[in-house]
Amino acid sequence: MIELAQQPRIHTASGRAEAAPIAFVRRLDWILLATAFALVGYGLWVIAGITRYDVPGDESYYVVRQGVAAAIGIAGLFVAAVVPVDLARRHWQLVYGATLGLMIVVFVAAETIRGSKRWIDLGFIQFQPSELGKVLFVLAIAGFLVDRAGRVTRWRTIFTAIGLGAAPILLVFLQPDLGTALVYSAALFAVLFFVGVRWRQLLALVAIGVIGVSSVLWLLPGAGIQVLKPYQAARLTLDPGADPGGITYNLNQSITAVGSGGLTGRGVVEASQTRLDYLPEHATDFAFASLAEQRGFVGSAILLLLYLLVVWRGLRVVTVAGDLYGAVVAGGLVFAFLFQIFVNVGMTMGVAPVTGIPLPFVTVGGSSMVANLVLIGVLQGIHARGELAARRPS
Amino acid sequence: MSSNPYQPKRAPSGRFLPPDPRVHEPHRLTPQLALRVAILGVVALVTFAVLFFRLWSLQVLSGDEHLSAAQDNQLRLVRVEAPRGPILDRRGRVVVSNVAGTAVQLWVGDMPKEGRYELVQRLASVLNVPPRALAREVEDRRGDPLSPITVKTSVGEDQVNYLYEHQAEFPGVEIVQIYLRDYAYAALAAQILGYTGEISPEELKRLRQDGYRGGDRIGKAGIESAYDSYLRGRAGLAQIRVDSLGRPQSPLELRQEARPGYALRLTLDMRLQRAAEEALAYGIDLAHQNKKWAANGGAIVALDPRDGAVLAMASAPTYKPSVYVGRVDPKKLEPLLDEEVARRANYPGLNRALAGLYPPGSTWKPVTALAGMQEHVFSPYESLRCTPFATYGLDRQEFRNWNPYVNRLMTLPEALAESCDTYFYEIGNRFYEGGSESRGGMQQWARRFGFGGATGLDIGGEADGLLPTPEWRRKTFESDWDRAWNPGDSIQLAIGQKDLLVTPLQLTAFYAMLANGGSIVTPHLVSDVEQPGGKGSPRVVLRRFAPRPLQPSGVDPAALSAVRDGLYLATHSVTGTSSGVFSNYSVPISGKTGTAEKVVPLPGYPSDHLEDQSWWCGWGPSDAARLVVCALIENGGHGSSAAAPAALRLFERYFGVKAPPTVVVDTD
Repeated sequence: MIELAQQPRIHTASGRAEAAPIAFVRRLDWILLATAFALVGYGLWVIAGITRYDVPGDESYYVVRQGVAAAIGIAGLFVAAVVPVDLARRHWQLVYGATLGLMIVVFVAAETIRGSKRWIDLGFIQFQPSELGKVLFVLAIAGFLVDRAGRVTRWRTIFTAIGLGAAPILLVFLQPDLGTALVYSAALFAVLFFVGVRWRQLLALVAIGVIGVSSVLWLLPGAGIQVLKPYQAARLTLDPGADPGGITYNLNQSITAVGSGGLTGRGVVEASQTRLDYLPEHATDFAFASLAEQRGFVGSAILLLLYLLVVWRGLRVVTVAGDLYGAVVAGGLVFAFLFQIFVNVGMTMGVAPVTGIPLPFVTVGGSSMVANLVLIGVLQGIHARGELAARRPS
Repeated sequence: MSSNPYQPKRAPSGRFLPPDPRVHEPHRLTPQLALRVAILGVVALVTFAVLFFRLWSLQVLSGDEHLSAAQDNQLRLVRVEAPRGPILDRRGRVVVSNVAGTAVQLWVGDMPKEGRYELVQRLASVLNVPPRALAREVEDRRGDPLSPITVKTSVGEDQVNYLYEHQAEFPGVEIVQIYLRDYAYAALAAQILGYTGEISPEELKRLRQDGYRGGDRIGKAGIESAYDSYLRGRAGLAQIRVDSLGRPQSPLELRQEARPGYALRLTLDMRLQRAAEEALAYGIDLAHQNKKWAANGGAIVALDPRDGAVLAMASAPTYKPSVYVGRVDPKKLEPLLDEEVARRANYPGLNRALAGLYPPGSTWKPVTALAGMQEHVFSPYESLRCTPFATYGLDRQEFRNWNPYVNRLMTLPEALAESCDTYFYEIGNRFYEGGSESRGGMQQWARRFGFGGATGLDIGGEADGLLPTPEWRRKTFESDWDRAWNPGDSIQLAIGQKDLLVTPLQLTAFYAMLANGGSIVTPHLVSDVEQPGGKGSPRVVLRRFAPRPLQPSGVDPAALSAVRDGLYLATHSVTGTSSGVFSNYSVPISGKTGTAEKVVPLPGYPSDHLEDQSWWCGWGPSDAARLVVCALIENGGHGSSAAAPAALRLFERYFGVKAPPTVVVDTD
């Protein structure tokens, strides 16, 4: 056990306020920040290769857009770091309302693209609220639970939290965006995990979840009630017989793409799976497979190691956090991030269900880029404030 | 306001003061939280380990396998259709050849997963084909993505341009150059030549091991079908790089050259064929002039009696084989495919020369005569009385002669010349009277002459006909009445009536035997397979189909000579049945008329209504035969008034000598 816990200290509002901005910047997690920037840069380079032949006559069409999104996202990172995260705890109802509002706006305003309503057309960009909603969701649910920190082991509190979480999850699920709904659920579980719900309670929740998933997949369809669309069920169960033309086609092409990359990759020009469009959605959901084809094991491993670095630093933020809320938020965000990476990367290699979720920092899509940078920003804020609090004499 | 849930529960006791509500207890990292962070760290490590191992196994351990899969993904082997061989007539005139055409094909495997039906509908509306049939075909072809559906052949230029311009909207649609069959003589010899079409699933199942593949075109009938293996050539192979939408990314790279099909040389003479088809129309026209309004079809066969080569073979009504080519119009195909429409159009797809069954009537009398002499039932110079009618049997059944004004003794040649029915009734009755052995005697000879079975024509499709025998009656019928072979059976058989059915080809082959002095010929249509000669290079015969050697019939020359005398008189003596047509022709022709009664259901008549089938069979020159002709005009009335003049047209064309105006008299 890391014994960082020291003598209880009393927080005071007074202090050396004039040195605060410099002290704050000095206490950012510079390794995490460098990793995030490395990911942005690496992601831009990767996506440049992946999308080189996607827009005839404009090789850098997507890279330029990604670059703009990254610039906005970095600004968002610093804003998120500076704004005290505790603000979100105190007004968690507002944050929750905003999360729910975004989801409802999607239903009202979004156009249907490829059969699902996920994007709001803001004129100049397509905004995908569920990505930013991921951060807000964690902030809101954590706020609710930390406010009741003394009662989180009561079933009543737990179920209220689950009920609060279920509303946005359901809305995302109905878009339909099964993958993001799963990410939200993972985040909800992580928040409960870090806020101190007891082990047997967590076990009970897992049991309920397993029963729920299996009933959605097997029991209810057996009784004639279809909760999932057949293609969704087929993707989750990786059942090749359910949709031989569609889903296994994508999966096989993806596995072929990953495998054909070999150790060092086929290069942008020779990567036929990507270039000739055999790999569907290679700029978005299957970006990892495309990366693996073009850059090989080496190129994919670099990305995975950068992700691992983010997760490591993120978990460290949990321990450094100056208050329970910061720790819970950091834990929820890191787990959601980890979950998203596993599902997306695993999907391209046939070890996770096929669901359409973005690969952080790589997938073409401004909302995802901005949201993930804001996520890093939130972690930075928690880190810096935690460090400041620890250094502050009582 | 809140307490830390991680704080250990203390037993409530009075030894400590309760926490001061004004003092905010600071957050600290409890061992419990640290444990949970550590657990998540382990989960993260395991997760990444799984991803790394999977990545390693896919990329490094089985990378080569996936790499070749990815490379194969983009290469498609395309069969390059071989141009089908041409069909030539005996003088090398091109009868069927190829013209280039444009076809639209659809690769089901390259169609998008969603919106297939919309694509099918759009394509169908651009190409003007029925969308539902196309959708069904797409559904059928889902399991077989490697052979394309030919949506339409011979596509118009504007449609091709539209598809090229909107290629992105039609994934899986491919425009290819194909060869279309071109029929230089339009409808001539349609039923013989047959037609080609896309191979059917049943044919594919049967022929896959012979190198046929889905989407191939194959001969469906006639020559095209019987000699498909020579005509089709061998498809070549080309390789092309395509993207996932099937759009070519590289030019076609030829891996194996296609070998064009070989040329097929027929024994047909297209000039004589044209004469035959015109003669049929002429014969039908003559019948109409004689108020035989039901005349609506017929057949003419012309053979070289020396080897059995078919020089002309016509069947009316006919159709244009081009209806099967390119833009297939279902309306135009209906008479060939739809039973009801075909009946109304009098079966244009039927080759009556091979598969049409008719009672031969008096053209059968030479068979009766030869069999009777061979079986010693009568002698050729025995005089029998020709009377208006004769009575036979216990019930004194009356059998009438076609000519009620005759009453004199006749020898066989005279009886043949005048086609005296009672003369042959007598022979038939003698066969009956000779006992059970003798009752099948005539049929045995008829079978030897080629009746009751296929003559062996090389394109197949022949009908057997029906040669009634006492056994046949016993086997076929139920009631004792029907099972009995009565005198009437033998008597009517002697003049080619009652149950007897023959094809025009069988009868022609028999007359070829009479004409060539008693040898049985095997009719054939194809003389050789050759490599067509180009400019300056001579044609090379690759395989010659030698006519089957003539088979001796075993007919006594004296008996044959008596019959030949009779058939010469029939066209030349004053009382000969077709003397009016042939006697003044400068080339001596021998032949026999026939007027066969056949039950023909006609609207407005009783169901057993009889119509006369007009026959004429014969050859020329009489003593050195080079051409044997049989003509049949369905429901055409008397043989002398429709079939005989039609047959004369062929002799005129063949010998290049016009006949003086003919006198047509209604005779048997």
